[in-house]
Amino acid sequence: MTTGWPKYLLITLALAFLGANIALPLAAVFVEAFAKGWDAYVEGIIEPDALAAVRLTLLVAAIAVPFNIVFGLAASWAITKFDFRGKAVLITMIDLPFSVSPVVSGLIYVLLFGLQGWFGESLRDAGVQIIFAVPGIVLATVFVTFPFVARELIPLMQEQGRDEEEAARSLGAGGWTVFRRVTLPNIKWGLLYGVLLCNARAMGEFGAVSVVSGHIRGLTNTMPLHVEILYNEYNFVAAFAVASLLAGLALVTLLVKSLLEWRFADTIAGSGH
Amino acid sequence: MTVETHDLVKRFGGFAALEGVTLQARPGEFLALLGPSGSGKTTLLRIMAGLDFPDSGRVTFDGVDMSDRPARERGIGFVFQHYALFRHMSVADNIAFGLTVRPRRDRPAASAIAARVKELLDLVQLPDLGKRYPAQLSGGQRQRVALARALAVEPRVLLLDEPFGALDAKVRKDLRRWLRAVHDASHVTSVFVTHDQEEALDLADRVVVMNKGRIEQVDTPDAVYNRPATAFVCDFLGNANRFECALRGGGVEIGGLTLPNAAPPAGDGRGQAFVRPHEFDIAAAGQPGIAATLRRVAHTGALAALECEVEGRIVEATSARPPEGLTPGDALTLVPTTVRAYPA
Repeated sequence: MTTGWPKYLLITLALAFLGANIALPLAAVFVEAFAKGWDAYVEGIIEPDALAAVRLTLLVAAIAVPFNIVFGLAASWAITKFDFRGKAVLITMIDLPFSVSPVVSGLIYVLLFGLQGWFGESLRDAGVQIIFAVPGIVLATVFVTFPFVARELIPLMQEQGRDEEEAARSLGAGGWTVFRRVTLPNIKWGLLYGVLLCNARAMGEFGAVSVVSGHIRGLTNTMPLHVEILYNEYNFVAAFAVASLLAGLALVTLLVKSLLEWRFADTIAGSGH
Repeated sequence: MTVETHDLVKRFGGFAALEGVTLQARPGEFLALLGPSGSGKTTLLRIMAGLDFPDSGRVTFDGVDMSDRPARERGIGFVFQHYALFRHMSVADNIAFGLTVRPRRDRPAASAIAARVKELLDLVQLPDLGKRYPAQLSGGQRQRVALARALAVEPRVLLLDEPFGALDAKVRKDLRRWLRAVHDASHVTSVFVTHDQEEALDLADRVVVMNKGRIEQVDTPDAVYNRPATAFVCDFLGNANRFECALRGGGVEIGGLTLPNAAPPAGDGRGQAFVRPHEFDIAAAGQPGIAATLRRVAHTGALAALECEVEGRIVEATSARPPEGLTPGDALTLVPTTVRAYPA
């Protein structure tokens, strides 16, 4: 398989597919965003509702990502370094958000916390609003981005085994010291990688957030939702301008991810496996 | 320090890893836990260390009950089969780890730690490798660093889990002589796990032979080899050949001969007899003894190794002076000189 036309045919096919499905649409986002010039582009972004959407997206990510870092670390630590009943169930649960449609994930929260939902009345009596408000958006985002950190860490920590932690314990280190001085340094690149993916998804999530948000302009619109509204109003320049921010985030994520993979492969090669 | 276990029982699911193990490691002793895989030897070591906990039974250090204490409070040094060095730390930082994690009031000054690290690097004969990372070392060097790291905290007992298991034969032999020398200089009570009988017999003051979660025999290398207490120990040590036999009046009836039993006395009845390869005389066919057919002769240095067939089974015999002119297919007689027989 090293010579001859099959190799070039396959490469050409792959490149054509990537070009048509990824590069072209990505280019279209930026072309459309700048269709009416720089001023129109900037106007689309600094318009108050757009800025509110950017702020809300950042806020949601700022809550969801740290939560899932803590959860992901705790879950992978428990799963890979200890034996307990129900471990297989926990692993399946972590994967659940990947296998469930995001729209269903959103609906779950509406069914639980919406006015007609299980806890709807008691929440209304207590004056707490979750659905069609920021808490609902945060909950839905946390749920959807749940697996990213844990999924990244579990295979890595499994491969590294428990020997180093046990060695540290036998040398007199307590649980926190073991984590800080042995476990964390061994997984830091994998963790960063997981956080990056988690963040990209938290900012880009559409389906689940769409169901719980209520699409209130300037209040409960995240960037993806704002893009949809603008587009439906035939405000293409503004829609693509905001979309270009999300696309830019994706590109930066990709870049940092590649840098990490490069760095990460290096540490793995240096670990003696 | 004296390390004792009292009636340890440990199960993993339905598998009984330890079924009532009582054992004592004496102060300054080098004790080997020897057995096939699944015999419970590693589990026993990990329970001594506090890395695993028994379902019942106790562990005491100098009479003080340690059963509920975690590893970090036991003052042990543990050496792992696959070294378990901290991969992101330099060799020097690895060795210093046990000292740097002490609470501030017990922690030596940085200069004292550095001096201790240097001392240990000299002890393990790697004086110039302090700045290297584990991935840059050979297997033998890594295990030396692992030992230095364990010794840095001045453990009351050193526990080693198949310390040479991942090394090649040459390095393994060098390293075990060296380990014995380190032990003799430090006098720290040491317990090591191995499945290699040669290693156990070569290195240990006493050998604990384990099988299926129980102790079969605890004795000096000489005693477990020459006076095996059970059929298992006899079979496991020394590549013995096994025969059916009858036990009568303290003698062993085998191949038409009646021989004294070199094993502990047993009652009359059916038995299994063990004869090691070097415990045969080779005689001409038709003589009293075990009738055999020669399959192969290999002259390996001073001894000739004879592969014989007895009733469809292979029997190994070695002889310094085999009859000349033997060729495969010849009939001959194997005359056991020493027999150890145990009730079947």
